[in-house]
Amino acid sequence: MTYAAEISRANPSCFVFLVDQSASMNDPIGGGRQRKADVVADALNRLLAELSVKCAKEEGVRDYFHVAVIGYGHAVGSAFTGPLAGRDLVPLSQVADQPARVEKRTKKVPDGAGGLVETTTRFPVWVDPVAHGATPMCRALATAESLVSDWVARHPDSFPPIVLNLTDGESTDGDPAGAAWAVQTHVTADGAALLFNLHVSAANTVPVTFPDTDVALPDTYARTLFGMSSLLPPHMRFYALQQGLQVGDLARGFCYNADITTLVQFLDIGTRATDLR
Amino acid sequence: MKVTSLRVPKQGNAPDECEDAAHVVADDDGPVLAAVADGASESLLAGQWAELLAKTVADAARDDDRVLRDVDRFASALVDAGEAWRAWLDDYVAEREAAGRPIAWYEEPKLDRGAHATVLAARFDTDPSGVTRWDVAALGDSCLFHTRDEKLRQAFPISSAGAFDNAPGLVNAFNRDQALLARHARAVSGTGERGDGFFLCTDALAAWFLRAADGGDRPWHVLGEFTRTGDLDGFTTWLAAARAEGLMRNDDVTVVHVDLR
Repeated sequence: MTYAAEISRANPSCFVFLVDQSASMNDPIGGGRQRKADVVADALNRLLAELSVKCAKEEGVRDYFHVAVIGYGHAVGSAFTGPLAGRDLVPLSQVADQPARVEKRTKKVPDGAGGLVETTTRFPVWVDPVAHGATPMCRALATAESLVSDWVARHPDSFPPIVLNLTDGESTDGDPAGAAWAVQTHVTADGAALLFNLHVSAANTVPVTFPDTDVALPDTYARTLFGMSSLLPPHMRFYALQQGLQVGDLARGFCYNADITTLVQFLDIGTRATDLR
Repeated sequence: MKVTSLRVPKQGNAPDECEDAAHVVADDDGPVLAAVADGASESLLAGQWAELLAKTVADAARDDDRVLRDVDRFASALVDAGEAWRAWLDDYVAEREAAGRPIAWYEEPKLDRGAHATVLAARFDTDPSGVTRWDVAALGDSCLFHTRDEKLRQAFPISSAGAFDNAPGLVNAFNRDQALLARHARAVSGTGERGDGFFLCTDALAAWFLRAADGGDRPWHVLGEFTRTGDLDGFTTWLAAARAEGLMRNDDVTVVHVDLR
């Protein structure tokens, strides 16, 4: 059975996040005022925070994952800011303990009486929005491939690495499909590396989450990214269904102008802390 | 009646990282109470909550023989454990502050969500004629097995190895909804006689036990070899082999053996 390896400190897995930092990320996301660069930086910071919380125990965050964040725009390289600047794969405990800063944000939560009340939460930041230069997506995927290749050589029995690319899809250094395929040729005993994509677009069209076909996608960029994305492994489809998402048997790890942080909930690190209903 | 228990952490974890708990109350001439609880790995402080839960429920069942016969009373004991947890947690947070290690940003959301654990508790009351009445109540997938002669007489609350998954029913330390807890709780009673064995097991061991029994083996003999002598090292070695052979999921393991000798 594939994609069933235990994820533990003795047998960790890895995440490689690719974040598009090209000039086109200055444009607003479809139907909104927020810049695409702000949306992907926010999504990435939330993904890192969710992952850290998921792996947190009372003594600290456990190194169930090692994490790299690679930016691509005027250059291709580590997108961490703060103490982790310049680093590639970092154990998750160090990610959790060394954000560039922790901001305070307000959010509305249920007040228990049918209404909402505003509360303050701590929001760690590792990556700032950047929009500068071209979109060397092929080079970014090649960097990811190099990290993945090294990882599977050192951790041949691990849950396969997951590469998550956050982009507006407008590659300027060629068709990224070949580089995307190359990432997924690296395998552990538990399966092939997974490549997922979050496409943020200026087009004002309906958000799409984990589709199994590209027919509803609005443009070539979206269809290319869909085609590059791995199938969701069965257990991830199961958790997506549990969360009320409509996912088919051929659902791919692809989202279009939609929230992808739910991906963290698809990872198994032990008994889930779910409430009775 | 002889009661023994063994507890072994998941392979790769230190003993103090084991998030299973067992609690036994065996006073002279009184009933015997035994409880196991299994903290959810995704929770913070899951082991501490499992310990408090097992102890609170076992103590409640010692003080009132109806607690394990009636799911509403059992649910009330679970709510009481949650009340005790709130006080424990306040002390914990204060101690962390005092030690210069305040709650980190990544702990906050999990503390707010509450700690989660399964729980199963059993009471054994032997009358002067030698017949033992037993009552057991559970929420989640920790199990009790009742064996007699060479047969498994009862498996509770789960009777099939295929029914285990990684999202069992769990008691959230902040859950005060007694009716909801009662709906998910199960209780059963029966009688035992001299020579019967009862094994309270957390899920990974319980799943192995049922699979082995389904295959015609007698897993109670295997466990009894270790529990009767309290052979923790031998049990740990045997578990490592079972996990390596894929016979058992790598998880914390706890067994309490109540032997009606």
